[in-house]
Amino acid sequence: MGSLFDIRLVFEYFPLIFSRFPITLLIVVVAIGAGLVLGLFIALVRMRKVLLLNQFAILYVSFVRGTPIIVQLFIIYYGFPLLLEQVGIDITQWEKIYFVLVTYGLNNAAFMSEIIRSAISSVPDGQREAAYSVGLSRWQALRRVILPQAFLNAFPVFGTRVVNTFESTSLAFTLGILDMVGQAQAIGSRTYHELEGYVVLAIIFIAISMILEKLFVHAEKRFIQQRR
Amino acid sequence: MIELKNVHKAFGKNTVLKGINLKVNKGEVVVILGPSGSGKTTLLRCINFLESADDGELIIGDTKVDFKNATSKEILAVRRRTAMVFQNYNLFNNMNAIENVMEGLVTGRKMPIGRAREIAKQALDKVGLKDKYEAYPLQLSGGQQQRVGIARAIALNPDVILFDEPTSALDPELVGEVLSVMQAVAKEGITMIVVTHEMSFAMDIAQHIIFMADGNIVEEGSPKDIFTNPKEKRTKQFLERILPRWNYSI
Ligand SMILES: Nc1ncnc2c1ncn2[C@@H]1O[C@H](COP(=O)(O)OP(=O)(O)OP(=O)(O)O)[C@@H](O)[C@H]1O
Ligand SMILES: [Mg+2]
Repeated sequence: MGSLFDIRLVFEYFPLIFSRFPITLLIVVVAIGAGLVLGLFIALVRMRKVLLLNQFAILYVSFVRGTPIIVQLFIIYYGFPLLLEQVGIDITQWEKIYFVLVTYGLNNAAFMSEIIRSAISSVPDGQREAAYSVGLSRWQALRRVILPQAFLNAFPVFGTRVVNTFESTSLAFTLGILDMVGQAQAIGSRTYHELEGYVVLAIIFIAISMILEKLFVHAEKRFIQQRR
Repeated sequence: MIELKNVHKAFGKNTVLKGINLKVNKGEVVVILGPSGSGKTTLLRCINFLESADDGELIIGDTKVDFKNATSKEILAVRRRTAMVFQNYNLFNNMNAIENVMEGLVTGRKMPIGRAREIAKQALDKVGLKDKYEAYPLQLSGGQQQRVGIARAIALNPDVILFDEPTSALDPELVGEVLSVMQAVAKEGITMIVVTHEMSFAMDIAQHIIFMADGNIVEEGSPKDIFTNPKEKRTKQFLERILPRWNYSI
């Protein structure tokens, strides 16, 4: 023991903590995937002002954006089983990771819907009209003309969202799952050397955030080059 | 043949079309003239339901549609019998020239890609863009973009092509290339309804001229009738303004 900070422990902890990266990655992938699908749905509901669903979507988005994710985690963890119990589904035996995935998916859907909405409205009306004029249906116009352009417009913001999601996974451990943060904490409380674990986390989070940002910048350049 | 009966359209309290009746024969080129705000664009956009008219009837080929309660199926059917060339070209920015032309065929009409590509090539060759198949809209001049727009329309082999001021966003030196493509299209016997301020096109190419003002058709007739012998005061005033050296005795 002795010293408060032991650099050798950083190296020792690193593989232990990084071995939990797949769990973090799983949360991010599920959150982004669910966020895209559900977010597109919410965005369309809001843009077409679908009765009732629209009001519900507005409420939902402002709730998610207005509360910390840690609050949402616990609301889902304690509230979701109660809700599903009403319709006869018992999920009390669910592993904690599922609650985490549901929370991050729902959370991302709200943020993503706002991104998608503004990306879609950034595509000029003339594009939609031209699509209709050559005989595309509403859905075909969306899929073939509007969304591809919206996606390109939204790409930088989308990249930021992925990085934010990755960083926000650091709160998933509060439900007691053993992701990278959970692992660092467990090691810390076992060895009384907490700082080293968090230094490892800091290094991993900085590195991965930077890699993600570079990837997005690179991908965006590729997309845009293709067009010019 | 395409026919409009008693078309009405208002934006809020602003009544823009006040009962338009119009008949266009197969193969005919009709030019619509009229001062700004008279409802020319709105009329064209009502024909392919980019604007929904409040009342009236549209007959196109053997399809008859009531504007007031058109279903989305009917609207799609009408759109698949028409095509439009826009003032600002409106090419799909995420597609290159040939993909722009193929899109309506492949996605809209479910045509096999190989055949659609052949048709698209022919259409692009026809508008003089043989060497621009792969170019994206941003890589093309305005005149070239508009020619892709025309190729996109003719590839669909529609019952009618609607042109809304196809040359008015172009630099003057590019107007000619687009007009001559339109002239070639007209010669092929494709039905065209053209809103334009290009009087030479109206005089030389149109078979029929419609003069609109304030949401009404004020006068219509052959180019000769309209340009040399207009009956209505509003028509005369308009022509005097737009053709400064125009006089009654041409
Ligand atoms: N989407 C819209 N919402 C409200 N008013 C509109 C809309 N589109 C057109 N109008 C109004 O309808 C009237 C006719 O417009 P329209 O564009 O059909 O005229 P136009 O004859 O094509 O004129 P221009 O020669 O300037 O193109 C105008 O008073 C215009 O302000
Ligand atoms: Mg107009």
